[in-house]
Amino acid sequence: MLIYGLINSAVLALMAIGFNLTFGISGVANFAYGAIYVVSGFITWIFINKLNLPYPVSAISTILIIGVFGAFIYRFIIKRIRGLVISEVIATFGISIVILEFLRYVGFIGFKYSLPMFLSGSVEVLGAYVDIQRLLIIGFVILLIIALYLFTHHTKIGRAFRGIAQEEHTSLSLGINPDWIASLSMGLGSSLGAFAAIVILPLGTITVDGGYDVLINALSVCIVGGLGSTFGIIIASLIIGYAQTLTATYLAPHWTMIVSLFAILIILVIKPSGILGHQKELEERV
Amino acid sequence: MRRSFFCLFVFLFFCLFFTFQIQAQQYITLGVPTSLKLIEGYEGHKAALLAAEEINAKGGIKIGNEKRLIKIESLDIRDGEPGVPVQEALLGIEKLILDKKIYAAVVGNFRSEALLAAMDIYSKHKVINIGTIAMTPKFQEKILSNPEKYKYSFRNCLDSKYLSQYIQNMMKFISKEFGYNKVYIVTQDVLWATATGSLMEKWFKENGWTVAGFDKYPVGATDFSAGLMKAKSAGVQVIMPIFDMPTSGILVKQWKGMKVPALMAGFISPLMGSKAWKTFGSDIDGLMNIVFEIGYFPIKAYPPTVKFSETYFKRWKEDIQSGHGAAPAYDTVYILANAIEKAGTLDQDKVVSAIQATDMEGVIGRIKFDKGHQLIFGDNPKTAAVGAVMQWQNGKMAVVWPQSIASDKIVKPGWMK
Repeated sequence: MLIYGLINSAVLALMAIGFNLTFGISGVANFAYGAIYVVSGFITWIFINKLNLPYPVSAISTILIIGVFGAFIYRFIIKRIRGLVISEVIATFGISIVILEFLRYVGFIGFKYSLPMFLSGSVEVLGAYVDIQRLLIIGFVILLIIALYLFTHHTKIGRAFRGIAQEEHTSLSLGINPDWIASLSMGLGSSLGAFAAIVILPLGTITVDGGYDVLINALSVCIVGGLGSTFGIIIASLIIGYAQTLTATYLAPHWTMIVSLFAILIILVIKPSGILGHQKELEERV
Repeated sequence: MRRSFFCLFVFLFFCLFFTFQIQAQQYITLGVPTSLKLIEGYEGHKAALLAAEEINAKGGIKIGNEKRLIKIESLDIRDGEPGVPVQEALLGIEKLILDKKIYAAVVGNFRSEALLAAMDIYSKHKVINIGTIAMTPKFQEKILSNPEKYKYSFRNCLDSKYLSQYIQNMMKFISKEFGYNKVYIVTQDVLWATATGSLMEKWFKENGWTVAGFDKYPVGATDFSAGLMKAKSAGVQVIMPIFDMPTSGILVKQWKGMKVPALMAGFISPLMGSKAWKTFGSDIDGLMNIVFEIGYFPIKAYPPTVKFSETYFKRWKEDIQSGHGAAPAYDTVYILANAIEKAGTLDQDKVVSAIQATDMEGVIGRIKFDKGHQLIFGDNPKTAAVGAVMQWQNGKMAVVWPQSIASDKIVKPGWMK
């Protein structure tokens, strides 16, 4: 239970990191995130199965393509409505529906769409057999968090990201172009969504409806952890991940679906900005 | 000059009018109102098209001295998709009936409540309906409640009562072969799956089995480790899954990954077709799955299945992946064609009587209907339609039950020995 709870938490964290990064920097809640996750899976599948490209090439190409796609969404759609929160949500959710239903329309249905495991087989950990792929997810999450920390603290663009996130107008006076950075953050967030898809989808199959589930999971983790806070989403992932595993083990698996919703409800009552969120914290204190 | 143009116009008008008249007379239009984006509907539609093309290639359906070709008109009524109201599906069916003037509907509804409501529409318009997907036993009850009114509806596929019987037969067979009597039930948390699970739980308890647990997983679940750990620690010999969601293949992968020493025997829809092996690889080796209707993959002991699966592949360049709906859809078109030829007319009442008297060889076995217009199932394709139990054995779909068509014996997964 310990190990599967940790894996579940890692999966949730991986799903939420991209969504969180985009929101934390540009302030855009990218509701197309779930669709981007699913379309990444299908693009990788096409590269591997139709174009016969090697797995690593397919994966890297997908991450790059999706990154550019995410930046394009910002440049051509979101930029015009930036700051209008409701419009942003409607636009990104609309994009999500268009992508997912288009995939369904062109025939991405059935059970045949799956990505290969990085390493197949299982190993015994703490007395329980665990798939190597699941263990790899934990490793990838740790690496990703370290890489993101180094990127945002030790690179010029990363510092610009933080500058925009902290105070956009002051950053502007220092020569940082907020639209350019927001566009990059949308691209990077989308790439992280693609990365999550490539790492998680080998565990199962790629389905159009999975996009909606991913969006809900990412949203719940971000709301509980605090929108924009990387460490907040790690804590939230651990709480929700272990709560789900405990629920499945000691209560019943079908109650796991309400765990994240229940967590959102509690956090909204106790601390609406999330565990480590700073949004509206002042208003909360007042 | 103007007079010449007028004559030419009148001539062309009559040519077009008679062309349409001739075409209308030539075709018998069959509707396929179903969820075309779901695998059973998608493949059922293709199977029906294949049968229609075969019949047309032989000149069509003979009615008296003339032959009529079949035309298939499909409409995606989406009733199998979440959130789509029944009313929308019914409107789609009525649209096909009124706009396309369909003579009969095949494949049909996914959701049982939509099927039950649609039966009234078919009766109102006297359109014959032979469904191959929705499985509620309420269908027969409704027909028997008013046989004259609902006589236009038939079901040419498994219903949930027969499904329970097949699962019971599979468990009896496992018990006889290995002496097993301890089971863990895992189902998808949707009505049909939990209802089947509950029926089986009752049956297990009445037949000397111990049910160590009964877990219901929400749609979209991707981690089944909690249930598998409980099953393993309880020392069960059989895990009985009932799922049709795409992520349910993960259950089998985890079963192998966690080396749970129990047979996995039940129904997992995504693992029914040949592509499952390509998708999931050897992780699904050893899984035993209930085949709702045979015919969609070749079974040497029953040659019509070999012929059908080869013909389907040749036409559509892919194998059938669904163990439910496609092969019966193919047979359904032949049932209609035979009934029309026997009746010698398109009069619906006479054709309905001919369908009721159907006794023909199909790819799913011998086709006969009971008084509730439900296809009769058994364990020998020479006497009845047949479902089966297949086990993945080194990439092969091996039939292990019933004896009449079995090609192999049950093999326990490597870590159980």
